[in-house]
Amino acid sequence: MRGDSGLRISHVGLRGIVGRGLTAGHVLDFAAAFGTFIEPGRPVVVGRDPRASGRMAWEGVVSALMACGHEVIDLGVVSTPVVQHALQRLDAAGGIAISASHNTADWNALRFLGPRGTYLSTAEAGELLDIYHLRKFRFVGWDALGGQRFDAGALDRYIDDLAAVFDLPSLCGFRVVVDCCNGTSALILRRVIERYGLDLVLINERVEGVQFAHEPSTSARMVELQLGPLMRPLGAHAGFLFDVDSDRVAMADEQGHGVSEEMMLPLLADHQLSRGPGKIVITNLSSSALVDDVAARHGGRVLRVPVGRQAAMDALAAYRPEQIAVAGEGTGAVMMPQFRFIYDGIASMFAVLTMMKERGRTLGQLLADYPQYSILKGEVRLESPRVPELLLDLLASYPDGRIDRTDGLRVTWPDRWFHVRVSHTEPIIRVICEQRGTPPQELFETLMDKARSYS
Amino acid sequence: MPREHLLKISVSGVRGVVPEFLTPSLTLHFAQAFGTYVGRGRVVVGRDTRLSGPMLQHAVNCGLLAAGCDVVDVGILPTPTIQIYVEHIRARGGIGLTASHNPPEYNALKLFNKEGQFFNQYERNELIDLYHQSDFTQATNAEIGHVTADPGLAKAIHIDRVLAKVDVERIRRRRFRVALDAVNGAGSVMTPGFLVDSLNCRLDAIAIDPTKVFPRIAEPRPDTLGELAALVLKTGAEVGFAQDPDADRLAIVDENGRVLDNDDVLALAVQRALAVVPGPVVVNLTTSSAIDDIALAFGRKVYRTPVGEANVVETMQAVKAAIGGEGSAGGVIFPAVQLCRDSFTAMAFLLDLMAESGKTVSELVAALPQYVRKSGKVAFAHGRLGGLMQALEEGFPEAEADRSDGLKLLWPDRWVHVRASNTEPIMRVFVEAKTEEAAEALFATSWSLLTA
Repeated sequence: MRGDSGLRISHVGLRGIVGRGLTAGHVLDFAAAFGTFIEPGRPVVVGRDPRASGRMAWEGVVSALMACGHEVIDLGVVSTPVVQHALQRLDAAGGIAISASHNTADWNALRFLGPRGTYLSTAEAGELLDIYHLRKFRFVGWDALGGQRFDAGALDRYIDDLAAVFDLPSLCGFRVVVDCCNGTSALILRRVIERYGLDLVLINERVEGVQFAHEPSTSARMVELQLGPLMRPLGAHAGFLFDVDSDRVAMADEQGHGVSEEMMLPLLADHQLSRGPGKIVITNLSSSALVDDVAARHGGRVLRVPVGRQAAMDALAAYRPEQIAVAGEGTGAVMMPQFRFIYDGIASMFAVLTMMKERGRTLGQLLADYPQYSILKGEVRLESPRVPELLLDLLASYPDGRIDRTDGLRVTWPDRWFHVRVSHTEPIIRVICEQRGTPPQELFETLMDKARSYS
Repeated sequence: MPREHLLKISVSGVRGVVPEFLTPSLTLHFAQAFGTYVGRGRVVVGRDTRLSGPMLQHAVNCGLLAAGCDVVDVGILPTPTIQIYVEHIRARGGIGLTASHNPPEYNALKLFNKEGQFFNQYERNELIDLYHQSDFTQATNAEIGHVTADPGLAKAIHIDRVLAKVDVERIRRRRFRVALDAVNGAGSVMTPGFLVDSLNCRLDAIAIDPTKVFPRIAEPRPDTLGELAALVLKTGAEVGFAQDPDADRLAIVDENGRVLDNDDVLALAVQRALAVVPGPVVVNLTTSSAIDDIALAFGRKVYRTPVGEANVVETMQAVKAAIGGEGSAGGVIFPAVQLCRDSFTAMAFLLDLMAESGKTVSELVAALPQYVRKSGKVAFAHGRLGGLMQALEEGFPEAEADRSDGLKLLWPDRWVHVRASNTEPIMRVFVEAKTEEAAEALFATSWSLLTA
């Protein structure tokens, strides 16, 4: 995301470019709002990614939580999923992960987590925002301030959780190249190698606070650039690239081809649906139709919700965990019920490797099993007041498709679809369309022209 | 109606009840203003043992890092030790989290410049303007510094500076029997080692657990030191020492269990200091005339300043003083160690005097110039202060008037000083004279003029 002043305060939490838009004052006040919002008198789990600004933000977060009477259980430099797993294990009121994840080094963010390690629901996030804006915080007396302790075991307990779901020693036969992008995945995977002897070749594994080896974007282009040239010389079976926070992941096959981030969800839907018991796949309106084909193969069902983490969390809350097979986005962020719905790139990596082992196929072979889809994405800068006009115009122009208006407009035909929506983070509208087989070039151009005519 | 100052942002820094009034947010912004003012570089941060210390220190660290400073965390340490360390490591400045002798619900930010001295009034005013303007340095990710823990050098540096100014062997040979009450404050982490290891004393101590709350009223005064006096009598100690929570001030109990007047504590230190270093003496307007008598005996000049450590320190620096302090507040400032109040210097000086003279504490006090002092507090309504001062002045037309801090009226053999407190809506009245009768008469007349 490119930003002007670089400050976003929303239901997703607080994020921005440190020193330009995001200040220490924002961080401390938002943490105080969270300390006020959650159940009083109980501990809060805190972790951070390795960004240099993380220490600054951590100091403010700890101060605010202590002032609200919460004991801080500090996990140090860990990934957001490690914080989420710790919350499932510890008796805490909630957690704060300080991480800007896939953004560049100059960004940082606070992510707020509930007592079970899940992201806040839309209603909860709204209440938190109200407290932040009111700035009426519930501070305790001088003799009831919270303390602070360090929990050094969180990383190993997290790996225990992974090892309980995946047969990690059985994955030793694969040579896997991993680009850690100088982030927290390096800490996790080094320990996995120590404990289970996996043949993981780590690159960019020095944990860094200021200078990352490359932009921490988990795209097919990035993974091909970083891992493509290494795969064949190293004789690797698969390659993975994590963002700084290791909640997102991208893949390269054994030939060194970057795999579209859109493929992660269909692949894991296949894996999860074949294991059962869950039959529902939750995804958003912008992700590939391939997941519908995969679900149909297993007699599963796809539930499409508006784009954004909040909508996915709210949808998950409406089902029992055992009803769900998998939930995820086209960005490569996927949650599995075994881990109580946490976006976790490390878990996704082990799921893909497990699938390769169980089916006896290479990653390239696995991916070749699926029908080919072609997706085109574009964006147009547009004044917000004209968005409804554009959507009504599009609605009138495509009366023959199946209509979904829960997030902008999605029109679906048997072999293709498009989705036009307003970005949550920038003053633009996004145009996405996909077709089985060849790219839907003509439809895409028509949609883009139409959108531009309103700009 | 009581007007309690639950939060005060003033020339002495920021002080308030935590966390409701002195909030983490205010603390962060003040620290960020401080970091902006002193510039990028190292800033030393330490604290006394108050329960709110860790919470506030995280806010201070956050603000300093956000301003692009590196934090050197020295943890729990006496205020003078922090100040010495700032200067020693050539840091940009320092912040001490301590509300000194105030009750435990208070805390405060003490601000030190790169010399390890309290900000002078110009620095303070600039900082407060900067704070109000909210125009802080906002460091980017690449500019944000680090927090490092100090490896524990600060204590040794402070102790070495003190020991250099006394005859250590003379003190060690005496194996003094000493009692200590460190109020579970910052002195707890340093004073026992100083007395036992450095000065070879036989020590009996109470309240030296830095994890516990203050067991008595934090200010070391005759009415708060009953336990220490009892300990002195029980153990047969030759002297008892009491510190405040940040160990900048010292109270002394003699071998009979009697708490010394703070003016006498200062007078003894002045006596010792003038014997070893050149220069004049600087004290505040409320300090005893005994100081003038002692200085005269050494042929030194005495400068008087308004009340407040910062005022005394500023003048001391300007006149290159040998020693200074505030009798009323129990502070001994000895620039050869550091230009700040230091209980460790005061302890070493007294033990050195005892070792040199072979006298007991009560004998040393008896040998000081004798004055009788009286004091009291008068609450006043807003707007009445000027009128009351005027009434007092008109009541004594023959006296010499000094208006540099409230009103001080002087005669050759006595004086009265009236000033408004900086921290409470009260007036403090101090009287000193050669005899009990003269002091009583001056106090009574003044009191009736001020309460009329």
